[in-house]
Amino acid sequence: MDKLIEIADRAAADYGFRQIVQWSPDDIVGEWGLSDREADVLKGPLKDALDELPIPVEPADLPREQERLAQIIRDGLS
Amino acid sequence: MLAADRNARGLEETRALAKDEGLSVGTFTVDVSKADMVSGMVERALADFGRLDVLVNAAGTLMRTPAVAEVTERDWDLMMSTNLKGPFLCIRAAVPAMTQNGGGAIVNISSMAGVQGASASVPYSIAKAGLIHLTTVTANQYTSLGIRINCIAPGPVDTPQSRGGTQSAEALAELGELHPMGRIGQPEEIASVIVFLASNEASYMSGHTLIVDGGLWTVSRG
Repeated sequence: MDKLIEIADRAAADYGFRQIVQWSPDDIVGEWGLSDREADVLKGPLKDALDELPIPVEPADLPREQERLAQIIRDGLS
Repeated sequence: MLAADRNARGLEETRALAKDEGLSVGTFTVDVSKADMVSGMVERALADFGRLDVLVNAAGTLMRTPAVAEVTERDWDLMMSTNLKGPFLCIRAAVPAMTQNGGGAIVNISSMAGVQGASASVPYSIAKAGLIHLTTVTANQYTSLGIRINCIAPGPVDTPQSRGGTQSAEALAELGELHPMGRIGQPEEIASVIVFLASNEASYMSGHTLIVDGGLWTVSRG
């Protein structure tokens, strides 16, 4: 779960990285060695949430958005 | 025209925008860093249109990175795969298709980061510099076969990538304020140069990299 939260944190802050997570998720799964369950969360609810994020996430909003994404991950893996 | 991207939703938006203008655009989902998908893209273009006249290598992504000593191999590979390996694979697949019909035109989209370097993303700058040299080398190899290969090095342009890359609306606005024109570029101002380089209006140009940044590069030269 920690690796997935690290990925989500960075995807919220860095739009270039976010695009790779959104559109080449298999590369992320392979590079980070995610489990099947983590991959399902990445390609499902996390991707859906990333699709709706503003471009960019303003610095003042970043902690809130990162926490929201982390909660989506926790819910998905629980 | 065949629009190809790994972003399927973006492709549908492109198709809808074209339809609003009365244009029919096919779409193909591709990750340009995957050779088999790129081959499939060219095969699809040949199947739909019978020939390939123009290739525009516009896929790219910019991830911010720390200084070189702290850049991970993983980040380096991710950036190189889309920004440099992708155009290589697309050119490799397109050249045989173009030569079958006497030639064509290839337009690569580099960046001023590839001309001047940008420390905010080392792998991006190096990949974009590599794309300029890929243009030069391939033009040397294929111009005699009727394929003109040129490149554009845009400065900051108002795209989602630029908005995301600057990481705040305030930072993007500051970029415009520092520009000699008082604004950053619009996507249409790059598209018009792509059309020019792809057309017969540029029939005596090959191996060239055009800086399209509204004169921003002159600022650093006083």
